[in-house]
Amino acid sequence: MFAELSSILNASPDSFTQGEFILVSDRQSDASFLIHHFLSFYLRARCRVWFLGLVQSFNHYSAVSQRLGVSLAQAKEKGQLVFLEGLKESLSVLIPQDTNTGSKAMDFLRDPGVGLKSLYEFVRSSVSSSGSRAEGAEEWGPPVLLVDDLSVLLSLGVSVGAVLDFSHYCRATVCSELQGNVVMLARCDGEEEEGDGDDEGSETLLKGLTHQCSLTLHVQGLPTGFCRDIHGQVEVCWRRRQGDGQSTQKKLFQYKVHDKGASFFAPGTSSAVL
Amino acid sequence: MLTELLQGTDAGGFLIIQDSASYSGRHLLKSFINAALHREEAVHVLGFEVSEEELKDGLIGASIHRLHFHNAYTDPLGWTHNPAFTVHQFCSEGVTQLVKQTSQSKPATLVIDSLSWILRHVGPPAVCKTLQQLRKGGAVRAIIGLLHADMHQRGTVGSVCHMATSVITVAPGMKGDEAVAKITKRSKSGKVMQDEEIFSFKEDFTVVVQNRPSQLGLKQTETEERETDPTANLTFNLRLSDTEREAKEKLALPFVFSKEKKTALLHSGRGSGRILYEPDANDDYDQEDPDDDLDV
Repeated sequence: MFAELSSILNASPDSFTQGEFILVSDRQSDASFLIHHFLSFYLRARCRVWFLGLVQSFNHYSAVSQRLGVSLAQAKEKGQLVFLEGLKESLSVLIPQDTNTGSKAMDFLRDPGVGLKSLYEFVRSSVSSSGSRAEGAEEWGPPVLLVDDLSVLLSLGVSVGAVLDFSHYCRATVCSELQGNVVMLARCDGEEEEGDGDDEGSETLLKGLTHQCSLTLHVQGLPTGFCRDIHGQVEVCWRRRQGDGQSTQKKLFQYKVHDKGASFFAPGTSSAVL
Repeated sequence: MLTELLQGTDAGGFLIIQDSASYSGRHLLKSFINAALHREEAVHVLGFEVSEEELKDGLIGASIHRLHFHNAYTDPLGWTHNPAFTVHQFCSEGVTQLVKQTSQSKPATLVIDSLSWILRHVGPPAVCKTLQQLRKGGAVRAIIGLLHADMHQRGTVGSVCHMATSVITVAPGMKGDEAVAKITKRSKSGKVMQDEEIFSFKEDFTVVVQNRPSQLGLKQTETEERETDPTANLTFNLRLSDTEREAKEKLALPFVFSKEKKTALLHSGRGSGRILYEPDANDDYDQEDPDDDLDV
């Protein structure tokens, strides 16, 4: 986990806000480093984590988490981490074999028009089954759902409405009912302007998710172009009441991704400049 | 005009609060709910987007029992086996039945959070038809809906707002806790009034309307005054005392050609150095006539 980001978000593995829906988004950039942060943060906070990895394999996240000091394989063994490997499961859907008894989670690949109800069922059954664990099992914190990423579902033929319904149901179950947290990544390729571009789906998806969430982290490149020492900017926006009025608080930071983490600083205060 | 709308005197009205991803209109919606509760009206909320706790958060008071929350948040599409209220039940009979179940004889105020949710699943024509039937129906006195204008096409937003008697579009204001509301109100006589106001919220959801945006100039000087004083909290002194300030203003800058300098140059003072020059033949060298013998 990135210590600077945790302090920006006023969260630590011992105390963080529950019932939050965090949206991580990017525009012509790559925000997946934030997913690694949240994954290691919540594992350190001793929460049970359900990870829907739709774009990378388990080994990828495992390798990165190793550098952040968390062992995914161990967490999986202990039962703290439940990992849906989307890429592997999709093979069993696309190349049906007699012997496979895989979950129905990726069934939307057969017929994207049907929607993501089966994926939600997978999440729901897996999350609620944890409630009835046997004695002797470790005491875990609130449940956390991580999704990486939602935009790939649009490329697979699922409609924007279906993805928004899925995120709504996840939020209703995990955030409101179980007081857990949800972190979802949504990506956008185009410029932010209203138009009849090809990318309208992901723009609408992003807007819809922004309306639903309580905290957004939006990653973009620097407006002035490429820089070796500053990889981009992150805009953090708190949408829900922080106990004192509607104030939607926004903060802008610049970041640099290192080998073993990322550092965040106020604009203009990069160590390369000062 | 915002305060008038909050007082909500016209029956059969349909108010839409339009918001966008940059500023949520739900807070204003809660203000309207609060105002209706204080007027001793029964309020029915069709909650699709936020849970009951989240909507009721902050709305405390004795009149909270008049707020009936119909839970369409946990299962709006009927994916579980016993949904409380699904989006497909949004028709005039369904809603009328829901309202009549819990309400007394007085017609209630219906709040829809949000219309965008319904529009995504039920098409705009059906939604408009239901809203029109509800307005004429009599079970509901007034309808207030929240609409996310950036989630739909302009035509959809336009059609739904066309049915409304008042539309409030909210956007973030210049300062942190302020917002701008553009209000369009259609009265029964057909007159359309438009207005733009800056407002903010107090702790108990009452709305405080501030200066109109036309007085922007005034606001700007106010912001400047409130900026932090850069000469404070330093280890060295950057401030000027009055004598220092006077001396500074009196100082003539070296390269500025002021009136004093001009007079000093034109009338050189007595005793100061004077330059006496008698033209010398050697000085009078004309490059174009070096021998000085041309008859020009």
